[in-house]
Amino acid sequence: MTRVEHLRNLALLGACAVALAILPHALTVYLRSFVLFTMMYVVLALSWNIISGFTGYTSFGHVAFYGIGAYACAILVADYRWHWLPTLGVGAVLAAVVGVGIGYPVLRLKGPYFAIAMLGAAEGTRVVATVWDGLTHGGLGISLPSAETSLETYDAMLVLMLLTIVVAYGVGHSRFGVRLNAIREDEVAAEALGINATLYKLAAFVLSAVFPAVAGGIQAYKVLYIDPPSVFFVQITIAMALMSMLGGKGTVIGPIVGAMLLYTAQELTWVNFPTAHLIAYGLFIVLVARFMPRGLMGFAIDRGWVRKGMIH
Amino acid sequence: MERSDVRSLYLLAAFLVCAYAMPFLVGAWAGTVRLDERWLGNLATVVVGGVMQGGVYAMFALGLTLIFGVMRIINAAHGEMVMMGAYLTWVAFFYLGVDPLLSIVLTLPIAFVFGVVVQKLLLDAAVGAPELTGLLITFGLGLAMIYTAELIFTTDFRTIPYAPGTVQLTSAIAVGQNRVISFVLAVAISTAVYLFLKLSRLGKAVRATALNAEVAMVCGIDVRRIYLITTGLAAALAVAGGALVSIQFGFNPETGVLYTLQAFAIIVLGGRGHYVGALIGGLMLAVLENLVSLMVPNGTAMVELAAYGLMISVLLIRPGGLMGVKEG
Repeated sequence: MTRVEHLRNLALLGACAVALAILPHALTVYLRSFVLFTMMYVVLALSWNIISGFTGYTSFGHVAFYGIGAYACAILVADYRWHWLPTLGVGAVLAAVVGVGIGYPVLRLKGPYFAIAMLGAAEGTRVVATVWDGLTHGGLGISLPSAETSLETYDAMLVLMLLTIVVAYGVGHSRFGVRLNAIREDEVAAEALGINATLYKLAAFVLSAVFPAVAGGIQAYKVLYIDPPSVFFVQITIAMALMSMLGGKGTVIGPIVGAMLLYTAQELTWVNFPTAHLIAYGLFIVLVARFMPRGLMGFAIDRGWVRKGMIH
Repeated sequence: MERSDVRSLYLLAAFLVCAYAMPFLVGAWAGTVRLDERWLGNLATVVVGGVMQGGVYAMFALGLTLIFGVMRIINAAHGEMVMMGAYLTWVAFFYLGVDPLLSIVLTLPIAFVFGVVVQKLLLDAAVGAPELTGLLITFGLGLAMIYTAELIFTTDFRTIPYAPGTVQLTSAIAVGQNRVISFVLAVAISTAVYLFLKLSRLGKAVRATALNAEVAMVCGIDVRRIYLITTGLAAALAVAGGALVSIQFGFNPETGVLYTLQAFAIIVLGGRGHYVGALIGGLMLAVLENLVSLMVPNGTAMVELAAYGLMISVLLIRPGGLMGVKEG
């Protein structure tokens, strides 16, 4: 991409940022939290996309990091009386450490084996959070003291989203991103070219673990109650994967669009069909994966609307 | 076998010894292990019960390993198919008055057709695609199945009272009659499927396709048809597993998820597409689970943790599993 195009994209992002920063003052409480959660899913989908879209390692357990971040925030705020903002940093560091701990051994696995191992790791983390009740209050969950003004969490999520977009865009257009793509296309060939695949995969994995942790922390402070089944919910991982796939895996704009579309659709069906919406959601997952595995971006590329062979 | 392969097998064996020693150590530390006669009787009962349970696990895991072996697709809806089997049996029992074991004869054809339809409409598109496609398709299918079941049957736990008596094996070891019946039936069905795969012409075609689909096609095997049969058979095994589970344990629409993860752990332990491996893996997992629930405090959650721990460790030590070849 040319310099002009980068600047144009940056200007576009800036305009969105300003609009989103002003927006909450004009919204009802419900709509404000709707926008907040949409932004959260943009963060989740984009970070999942770094390891699974750019690097080609399908993580089926990314919710683990989200849950770790949520628990870091909830424990420190509820039991240790911290201010909630620094707990986000603790969550991020914790997720990075756990990310290295899980990623280093598990990233040696490929394809379906990696996916299964990650699924097991995430479920295992959930069980640990349930069993370790001295720290996590076990299955009872944690209630946070309510001091929240919904603007604080909104602004935090907005900043996080902008940061995630900038990082994902930066990664996508850097040599780092190109090397990740090389690993995705052919790991052996990439190593033969002198790319330290182990190190790059691990870096991508940790990077994609940090943002969900912060998002989890903000979400915990927003909702004010968490328990293991709700923050280690498999369907959050599925949502990350599905949103990326719907928009277009391996691109930057794809997961953003996918997250916005899917979260809106989810909310609308949930409001209108309270009983059957999960059935519809299941069928929707099936249809997207069956008929649009390359997503909207693939569709746009086939029509010649966007240039091929670029990360958008 | 290569040397590194043999070494990884030794490593795995050493790990498994540690894994099985673990509940005893934790139990000794927590004081749940008492070396009197009654406790030893309990231990023996639990191990025998685990073996019985493992036979049923192995049977539905066989279905998962079939799909994984032939098409490289991870069927994330496998547990939901087990759950479907349990509900079909329940409906047949309470509304039609059919004996749960007899109802297998009715439900198996339904399951086979269900599998064929799923393959035709959904999974054919996922063969050869990145693993995410198959995972998402089957996961979405599983979700739709769970919530359809919730809509029809609610989230209440159901049980089927069947053969409530116990069988006294020795003076100390007693096993529920329903468990013995399930085990015998599971072994019979697994053996039948195994013989079908080993001996019949069609079964050989299935194995050939698993080995190398392209070469199989060149040899004149209709690979698409083999895929249909594979998924049909896998669904039938899952539903039969559901019938046998339903007479032993309570179930609700969400119990399927656990069975999916157990089946994952079993095929990882046994080796992808390895049928005898699935059997051994099933027995090993069930015995370990029962040991953990006997001795480790906070048993039910720890049982899950043991299954995931076993799965990940085996993946890391020897991705090909106990019987499998080295692959990564």
